[in-house]
Amino acid sequence: MTMGSVLALAGAAIAATFAGIGSASGVRAGGQAAAGVTAEKPELFGRLLILQALPGTQGIYGFLTAVLIMVQIGVLGGSPLDLTIEQGLCFLAAGCPIGFVGWWSGIYQGQTAVAAIHMTAKDPEASARGITMTALVETYAILALLISILMIYGIRLS
Amino acid sequence: MIVPMKKATLTFLKNEQSEVLKSLQKGAHIMFIEPDEDASTESGTELAKIETQNSEAMLRLLNNYSKKPGFFENKPSVSYSDFSQDSDRGLDLLKAIEEVNSEIQSHNSTISNLESENASLRPWLGIDIPLDQLHSSKSVFIQPGFLQPETKDEIISYLQENGQDIQVLETVPEGIACVVFLYMKGYEEYLNHIKELGFSETKVPQTSEDPLKIIRRNNDEIKKEREQIKQCTSKLNEYGSEREQLELFIQQEESKKRRLEAPFVSTIETVTYQGWVRSDRTREFKKDIEAVTDVYDLELTDPEEGEIPPTVTKNNYFLAQFETITDAFSLPKFNSLDPAPVAGPWYWFIYGMMMGDAGYGACMVIALFLFRKFKKPQGEFGKLVNVLYYSGYTTIFWGILFGSYFGETYHPILFNPLEAPIYMLIFSLIIGVLQLFSGMILKMVIDYREGHFMDGVYDELSWMILIIGCGLLFLESTRIIGIIFVAVGALIILFTAGRDKPTILGKIGGGLLGLYGITDYLSDILSYSRILALGLATSVVGMVMNMLAGMVAFNFIGYIFAAIIFLVGHIFNIVLSMLSAYVHDSRLQYIEFFNKFYDGGGKPFKPIEIDQRYIDVTGADLSQGSNAVKGNLE
Repeated sequence: MTMGSVLALAGAAIAATFAGIGSASGVRAGGQAAAGVTAEKPELFGRLLILQALPGTQGIYGFLTAVLIMVQIGVLGGSPLDLTIEQGLCFLAAGCPIGFVGWWSGIYQGQTAVAAIHMTAKDPEASARGITMTALVETYAILALLISILMIYGIRLS
Repeated sequence: MIVPMKKATLTFLKNEQSEVLKSLQKGAHIMFIEPDEDASTESGTELAKIETQNSEAMLRLLNNYSKKPGFFENKPSVSYSDFSQDSDRGLDLLKAIEEVNSEIQSHNSTISNLESENASLRPWLGIDIPLDQLHSSKSVFIQPGFLQPETKDEIISYLQENGQDIQVLETVPEGIACVVFLYMKGYEEYLNHIKELGFSETKVPQTSEDPLKIIRRNNDEIKKEREQIKQCTSKLNEYGSEREQLELFIQQEESKKRRLEAPFVSTIETVTYQGWVRSDRTREFKKDIEAVTDVYDLELTDPEEGEIPPTVTKNNYFLAQFETITDAFSLPKFNSLDPAPVAGPWYWFIYGMMMGDAGYGACMVIALFLFRKFKKPQGEFGKLVNVLYYSGYTTIFWGILFGSYFGETYHPILFNPLEAPIYMLIFSLIIGVLQLFSGMILKMVIDYREGHFMDGVYDELSWMILIIGCGLLFLESTRIIGIIFVAVGALIILFTAGRDKPTILGKIGGGLLGLYGITDYLSDILSYSRILALGLATSVVGMVMNMLAGMVAFNFIGYIFAAIIFLVGHIFNIVLSMLSAYVHDSRLQYIEFFNKFYDGGGKPFKPIEIDQRYIDVTGADLSQGSNAVKGNLE
């Protein structure tokens, strides 16, 4: 395996690791708030679960970026390519947007989810609005994901 | 479509008050409002409130002792004529349960009293005389108290060395109980010393019998009380089978309460109610009044300036389901446009693109079809289930176009987003532009109806021309036309965006500022790139599941594992993708689409209706929303 391939794998690792950290943190925050509310109002469990799950998508975006990188460089399904250092660095760069934006947006989305969960506790009818407010944070993770994907597909491998 | 409302002023004879109200409640016709003059409500509403609250508490108690309804068991139902008869059994049942409940409570409090007495006696178990005889005599000072484990041995040896005595008893949470016997002469010195070492004084409970005897007797009594509680719960178990009677009674009481709470104005012989009714159901409204009385006066008027009637939307069955999405944002105002007929189809369409897998679509359709058939979900939840069920079909549609089946690609008709993400990105943005345009056209329609059509041309059409022009710029062959479009659009905006400003300078500034609005449109359109991102997320996770399953499938046991991975993985992916698509599709409607034409701000129409929480009452209407769902599934 060449140094280029190692760098590309590092890019995949950045995407999956940091986005995963962000999601784990966000889902944890949401879960703690939801557990508190569920103790008082068990009938809200379904709505709260949706709010808790919202910050979980960043982890999936990071994961899918990592898989795409691994497929492109042939580590998953196929024979591994020998990448040059430049190509490897390109993949490393491609992993960064979703890795870092996923990390922070996951944490922040978790905080918004907590607020929305408290709002739902007070007024269950408002849960759809809370979901929308929480989903707004994710926009930037989606944009980062998009950039990561476009970069991955844009790298010349021949 | 928004149903126009009429304000009804209904006057009828006082002695027919309850009959008329019952009939109106059965038909769910009218949402009462405070009449213009001073209103009163019937006496006894507070009482009715307390009663229903209490009966709900009793129902919760009873629920612990009755069979839970199965997941697919449907709500029981009762006919309206049965419902309108007072349920004597329900009232009896309520009284009986209350009695049993207070009996259980008194047993429980007896038990806890006995237990706390036992706890207070437990340290002194080793004393085999009545405790009230344990007091100092002329020559011996007796002091009960507690030792701490760390200094226990020190204290004991200190006392023994000095010829005093101590009896160590039970160990309890407070410490080690003991009784210290000191010579009366000079006892203070010893006492102070052991206190310094950690001995704490206490008093023993004064009993005329020895502690062991009392505890034994108490334990026997506790056993007896427990036995009685068991009898009570077996009674509750018996009542549990009659839970429906109690539920019916609660619904009757709640319905009665609603009737009593309606505000009205009364004269000696008549009563007058006011409220909002749907203009498309005035005939049924009258019919239900005439069914119980001949003598009445009904005045139906259009809402006056300043009056805000509640909002009722009426759409065909398919579109009505999507009201659950649009209503979650806000109900439309009574005099504005209902967004559901436009937002609904777009939601349906885009949901399919976000899922974009024919296999997943088929799973959604089958699973939700069965769920609808057996569980018969109702109300807002029922509508949501229907929305997802319908979206299963668009998911299949787009899945076939993209050639995606459970994460595998097979002969795409259009293109596969995974292989050609750039095409998919452009395609998503075009869909976004089209949806935004439909919103802007709606805004123009609103402008036209409000009589300022040219505002629509200046604010909406200009942007549409500009955006189309920008699109044409990307193609070599249409570049010239594109430039013309962009120029025309931009010029209109430049010259009209500042038209409200009074000064020339203000008009120029407003025009330039108007052009700056391009950033809003840009971010709105780019926001539709989430269609690509979510579609890719679904297909890549699906692909990974297939890959994982493929990795282990090399012998018989491997095939079993592969099947499990395949099944669990794809179900996980479907559920998560459905959640993401639901959330982000809603967001596209709320933020990007509604922003173009829709304000919301309406209040819901909540007519007086029969409470159907636990048991359906056949023959009685519910307000529109829940009825639409009910109607189709039966």
